[in-house]
Amino acid sequence: MKKIIAIIRNEKVEETKSALMKIGVNGVTFLHVAGRGLQKGLIPSRLPAGGCPPYIGRHPLRTQDDVPVPGHPASRPTENERESGFLPKRMLIIVANDSDVRPIIDALIATNRTGCHGDGKIFVCPMISAIRVRNGEQGDSALV
Amino acid sequence: MKMIWAIIRPEYSQKVIDALEKTGISAMTRLHVTGHGAEIGITAGLVNYSEIPKEMLMLVLSDIDVAHAVKIISTTAKTWQKENPGHGAVGDGKIFVTYVEDAYTIRTAETRRNGSGPPGKTGTTV
Repeated sequence: MKKIIAIIRNEKVEETKSALMKIGVNGVTFLHVAGRGLQKGLIPSRLPAGGCPPYIGRHPLRTQDDVPVPGHPASRPTENERESGFLPKRMLIIVANDSDVRPIIDALIATNRTGCHGDGKIFVCPMISAIRVRNGEQGDSALV
Repeated sequence: MKMIWAIIRPEYSQKVIDALEKTGISAMTRLHVTGHGAEIGITAGLVNYSEIPKEMLMLVLSDIDVAHAVKIISTTAKTWQKENPGHGAVGDGKIFVTYVEDAYTIRTAETRRNGSGPPGKTGTTV
């Protein structure tokens, strides 16, 4: 059993949901997070039309580009977060059987890859067990 | 490759982020969470507040950087007590470290498997 943690763009969430649905993955947890990568958040989190933004450093346009998801205070960056380059992102947590990990990762990459900085990361961690709260089922059968 | 989940006081998170950035660790994700530890929150009079706002930082680092990052977080996120300097206070938080088997960069579809590849220099995440 593996835990897949993916950090993706906000605007790719719906697309990702339907892509996961298509390969039969229905159990997904979404979190509103703020984050930055090795570029320290110095590029717009929102994709502009046509081409990737170059490395631009801090510039006045950035505040317009980082539009947080409305109605979610957790995803709204504070002044401090803007200063340190934290951009609103979405975190996905999927727990899957070992054999399902590869198709899930392929689907996530195929859907979220734009080739621009800020596409996100996927981490795969070992998971020891899962328990269904409803009936106490344990192990692989709790995932289905 | 290891994943660090650090739960710290919100008022200290900026300090911790700056301290990590100073040593070259700039890639991280932060979450607003609520929770309590073994002290079961704060009790004021008859009311118990068990959902105390905290910040959670998630970092993925190569093995050699983990001890370094944990040391920075634990020293920076500690509150300073006048009567008991260097000891911190209840509610300063926890740091958890877990394994990461694979890491993918979505932009390039590159994989970095645990244990393979050159050891990263300080501050290089995956």
